[in-house]
Amino acid sequence: MVVVGIDVGGTFTDLTEIDEATGGVRITKVPSTPGDEARAVLAGLERLADPRAVRRIVHGTTVATNAIIQRRGARVALVTTAGFRDLIEIGRTKRNIPALFNPTFVRPRPPVPRPLRFEVPERILHDGSVLRPLDEGALARLVDAVRPQAPQAFAVCLLFSYANAAHEQRVARALEQAFPGTPVSLSSEVVPEYREFERFSTTVFNAYIQPLMERYLEAMEKRLLAAGYPPGVLTVGSSGGALTVDAARRLPIKTIASGPAGGVSQAIFVARSIGAPDVITYDIGGTSTDVCLISGFAPGVTTESLLAGFPVKTPQIDIKSVGAGGGSIAWVDIDGALQVGPQSAGAEPGPACYGRGGLEATVSDANLLLGRLGAGRPLGGTIALDPALAARAVDRLAARLGGFDAHRLAEGIIRIMVARTVSSIREITIQRGHDPRDFTLMAFGGAGGMHAIPTAEELGIARIIVPRFPGNFSALGVAASDIKLDLVRTCIGRLAGDALPRLQELFAGMREAAARQLQEDGFAPADMRWVHALDLRYVGQAFELTVPVEPETLTAGGAAGAFHARHLQTYGHASEEAAVEVVNARLTAFGVVTKPPLARYASPTRRLAEALVEERAVYFGGRFAPCPVYERERLPAGARFPGPAVVEEFGSTAVVFPGWRAEVDEFGTLRLEGAA
Amino acid sequence: MDPITLEVVREALSSIVREMRINLTRTSYSSIIYEGEDFSCVLMSAAAEIVAMSAGQDHPLHIVPIGWSMRAVREKFGDDIRPGDIFLHNDPYTGGTHLNDVAMIYPMFAEGRLFLFPVIRAHWADVGGMTSGSISGAVTEIYQEGVRIPPIKVAEGGRVNQAVVDVLFANMRIPRDRDGDFRAMVGTCAKAAERVQALLARYGLAVLEGCIGELLDRAEQRMRQKLRGLPDGTYRYEAYLEAGRERLEPLVVKAAVIIAGDTLTVDLGGTSPQTAGPTNVGPAMAPTGAFTIIKSFLDPGGDINSGAFRPLSVLTPEGTIVNARPPAPCGGMVEVKFCVESAVMGALAQAIEGKVTGDLKGGGNHAYLGGVDPRTGEPYVFYEYPAAGNGAWDGGDGNNTVRAFTESDMTTLQPIEAVEQKYPLRVERTALREDSGGDGRWRGGLGLSRELTLLGADARFSVLSEKNILPPYGVCGGTAGAPNRFFVIRDGAAVEPSPLPGKVSGFPLRAGDLVLLQSSGGGGYGDPLARDPEAVARDVADGVVSPDRARRVYGVILRDGRVDGEATRRQREVIGAARPRVRLRELGGPGAPDGRRICRLSAAAAARLGVAMGDIVEFVNPAGAPLRAWIAEIGGEDGDLAWLAPDACALLAAGGDAVEIRRVAGPRGA
Repeated sequence: MVVVGIDVGGTFTDLTEIDEATGGVRITKVPSTPGDEARAVLAGLERLADPRAVRRIVHGTTVATNAIIQRRGARVALVTTAGFRDLIEIGRTKRNIPALFNPTFVRPRPPVPRPLRFEVPERILHDGSVLRPLDEGALARLVDAVRPQAPQAFAVCLLFSYANAAHEQRVARALEQAFPGTPVSLSSEVVPEYREFERFSTTVFNAYIQPLMERYLEAMEKRLLAAGYPPGVLTVGSSGGALTVDAARRLPIKTIASGPAGGVSQAIFVARSIGAPDVITYDIGGTSTDVCLISGFAPGVTTESLLAGFPVKTPQIDIKSVGAGGGSIAWVDIDGALQVGPQSAGAEPGPACYGRGGLEATVSDANLLLGRLGAGRPLGGTIALDPALAARAVDRLAARLGGFDAHRLAEGIIRIMVARTVSSIREITIQRGHDPRDFTLMAFGGAGGMHAIPTAEELGIARIIVPRFPGNFSALGVAASDIKLDLVRTCIGRLAGDALPRLQELFAGMREAAARQLQEDGFAPADMRWVHALDLRYVGQAFELTVPVEPETLTAGGAAGAFHARHLQTYGHASEEAAVEVVNARLTAFGVVTKPPLARYASPTRRLAEALVEERAVYFGGRFAPCPVYERERLPAGARFPGPAVVEEFGSTAVVFPGWRAEVDEFGTLRLEGAA
Repeated sequence: MDPITLEVVREALSSIVREMRINLTRTSYSSIIYEGEDFSCVLMSAAAEIVAMSAGQDHPLHIVPIGWSMRAVREKFGDDIRPGDIFLHNDPYTGGTHLNDVAMIYPMFAEGRLFLFPVIRAHWADVGGMTSGSISGAVTEIYQEGVRIPPIKVAEGGRVNQAVVDVLFANMRIPRDRDGDFRAMVGTCAKAAERVQALLARYGLAVLEGCIGELLDRAEQRMRQKLRGLPDGTYRYEAYLEAGRERLEPLVVKAAVIIAGDTLTVDLGGTSPQTAGPTNVGPAMAPTGAFTIIKSFLDPGGDINSGAFRPLSVLTPEGTIVNARPPAPCGGMVEVKFCVESAVMGALAQAIEGKVTGDLKGGGNHAYLGGVDPRTGEPYVFYEYPAAGNGAWDGGDGNNTVRAFTESDMTTLQPIEAVEQKYPLRVERTALREDSGGDGRWRGGLGLSRELTLLGADARFSVLSEKNILPPYGVCGGTAGAPNRFFVIRDGAAVEPSPLPGKVSGFPLRAGDLVLLQSSGGGGYGDPLARDPEAVARDVADGVVSPDRARRVYGVILRDGRVDGEATRRQREVIGAARPRVRLRELGGPGAPDGRRICRLSAAAAARLGVAMGDIVEFVNPAGAPLRAWIAEIGGEDGDLAWLAPDACALLAAGGDAVEIRRVAGPRGA
């Protein structure tokens, strides 16, 4: 049997198939079909698996994210506590977009316009007690008021619902009765945490994308079933694990960082296999570079993220994205400064060399002009690259700079692009108190391997690995994902002995709920795994740090000690004498799936020469030099070769710069090491 | 300079500043730094020029004045600056902001010469003084605001002068946190210096100096290019601070923007003398406000470095509220900065065809509720500083309640679910204020109303807020936004907590009182009668404009929510014809001794407007900001006439011979 991983991107849909027994991998890539994603998925699957041999299909998708960014979500009605319908708009009064010195900035509007925000008279207090009961008459009036607006989804967001969800549940029941089939998102279910604006914003987004996600998943499942594939296509969640169809349908907001999360999961899988606990991922795609710090095989996880100017408070892998990728446009500012990005030529028209009408020079055009990217290999098997168009675009830019040498300019475009990614890597590492030199750089995505060496050089990183199938990396990670549920309960109070029974009770309740869910999803108790944590802070602080705990051995002193240590690591100091406060209890529940091992590399060749595709002139440091070009999947295991060299494969290219050496290890991983 | 190296170096320099931010956030002790991010980092040149700041995270309010702090250091120490020396500074009179913002200046050397200075200005939660937190509206001297630190060497030759540090911290509350913040600042600067050293090793001093010079020159050239596109001339405007205790005793900021070729001078001559209240600043803050406005309207996209300042000069007469001498308090520096910005924007408008925005909230809107929490017996202070509606512009409505383009992007409201845990308060309402946006072809953004019930026990209420009487102006015919307003509802009736609105000092609250914090609407842009009737219909449907206002101000007649085109056209004609207009006459004699603008109205004009002596009116300027004046005399010739000083007549003459006039407020704001 095989498992299939799919990464549905804006331009390409990547597919991978992994043999459960051998770990053998097959990959393919097909052009995406936005609006009818299932078509591309099926087209890709046809090239791979026999439907009857497929045990499960897991996919990463950005349909939800794109719908939010492009404002294509549902007509949502918001139901909230009387007096607070504008809270979703006022928020914390932050702009949340770069607008300093810009008098004409337009603050992003919430996805629910004012006439679709409804108030109900009710009020719960912070201890969960009811100040103002919700009466039936109010619910009837609400239904009457809502009806003419014909909403496609509801977000029910009441104050203090994390402490007492009864009113939200009653509103939901009334809406479900009156509007059968219209999805209802409750803030007490989407993020049962305190801080109303962040909870409401996340819930409204959830409602906003719910109808679309339902249609999408339904269509996908129907088409796959009809083609003979097994039911239940799973979706990767933002925090790395997979969501069942039902979970993704109810909580689509948990899928917004689906695609990049797959890449990080796979990076961790590879890191474990080769024994490299501390890794910085370097994923370069068309429009952006995503970097993530993995320390001790664990990525950072954050609940503080923004999407389209609004907070999303569901846990997600802490990935920093910089607007610098293969499609980033090089341009000249009014003061004559050369800039690269953040504007991107995207997939349409794409870089000039795609020949689809793009005229501006991009990073990919620069790489093509320098011979680092090969023209002989159509991108994703479909898009032929035209060096003449790339040269013309770079020439035009050179003329704008007053007659610059085109090749030097191309090299400069790449240097600037690299400089942007270097800054972001440096910043994420020091943010978590590390030094980049202690890390291995893991490069993937179509262009990660092309820019990894100059990036590592700038950072003082001595080791780079380019894992196998870097062009389909996210799809691989997706296939190997466990089912994951993130649960949270708010319980604010001093961290002291008398708080423990309540915390134990919350953990037990969450475990019970998670176990029930996982059981429904077909997991036996032996395949369930729990990770418990507390969000703690010093009394008086406004933000928390998440500290893992073991409920069986939980003591107030132990948890406080772990918190002090975490505070010390994060902020450089801790106050052992200061009082510590609990804010949230968290449970991450895993339904563990059988994962194929990372396959050993069955090298098809014995000699390096057998992998040689051609020798072409490649430009490094101001001049062209002859450079061997190897086919990645034909390299013999154990091969070692010096730079300059280019390693090409389906969907990705790696460049070994002069002064660096490459080695192919037993897993087929390309390891790059500097001369120094 | 090779454009590639230049760009790579620019990226590296701004990345060093971003790293400084991360390092300080990671290591500081007070939550106002590591959670509130009330600090800024910058790299300065030896010539006291800003070389690099982060794009958007650092506060112009902190950064721009650093040049003054640096010059104060250079002036005092000359060449007596050696490796391992570290300077500390917060003195407003030599380039500080308010005393809470403490600057650390860390010299670093290359090839034996001073090269770049990593600098941090961070808000210390307390620097001593008469109240916890060091900021109070009740001050009369700076000594009540905490410890003043002139430029000093806090470390020499790599050794911290412990005596100095001990004296400082002995005069501040929670010295342990101050010490922690101090050490975090030293560590952050040292790291930044290391990173600059690595750049030096990589590129060499000559290349780095070349790049820095080029970056500054380019920013300068951009600004000069923009200035050359503007008509030469002197453009004047004035704005007011609402000082006084029992009644309004306005302070005026007078701005003359002088454009000559590719230079711009802002002359603040004529501004009010310094005052024994919090609204004074040292020499750095007015130039910071002026720069913020000029940069924003001329070249928002360019780098933020001192090159862009080179074509600008700002003249701040000594002894005035924009360049105060000791011992004038300086805690209200945000209010003064906003006022300078309002004045400069009104003046600049005349040079850029009115392409400015409606005015903003005028200051910090600081509101404090303090008492003893009956649940714990512990004292508490609840503090919020509500953002307000933004001004409209030619092409767009102002944003509703959000931090403005002149400010850093900070949270100004606490989560309700935190407030009710931490304080004996219940938040009853957080809503946009209907009809609060200034009217116009483009409407100003709405302010908010935050309403809290005090539970359990008595408490005190204090406010430091501007534009409670003189609301944020509209431009080019747009009307003012609603003023900021802070008041109490007790037993169902409104209670004013102070004789002068917006200046509340310890008003005694009773349990059960409802406290309302209401922020201003942004000023409108353009004539409301030119607003697209469909946009007005949408505003009515959204509940942001009332149907009555739609009819009365916008002349839009709605039938079942739909625009009645013909009725609207007629209504607009009627409104346009009925607007009070006056012909201007020159007013002789001296102006008011306190600098406020005065006017005389004919009896007919006063009757038409329904105004009396002492009321405030505004004369609409179709090409910019309206001129505001106090009615000092009613009478004289018949007809709709107004008398204003010659400079005002000249300014308004551009609008034709009859000028629209509006009532702004009574002397107490009503």
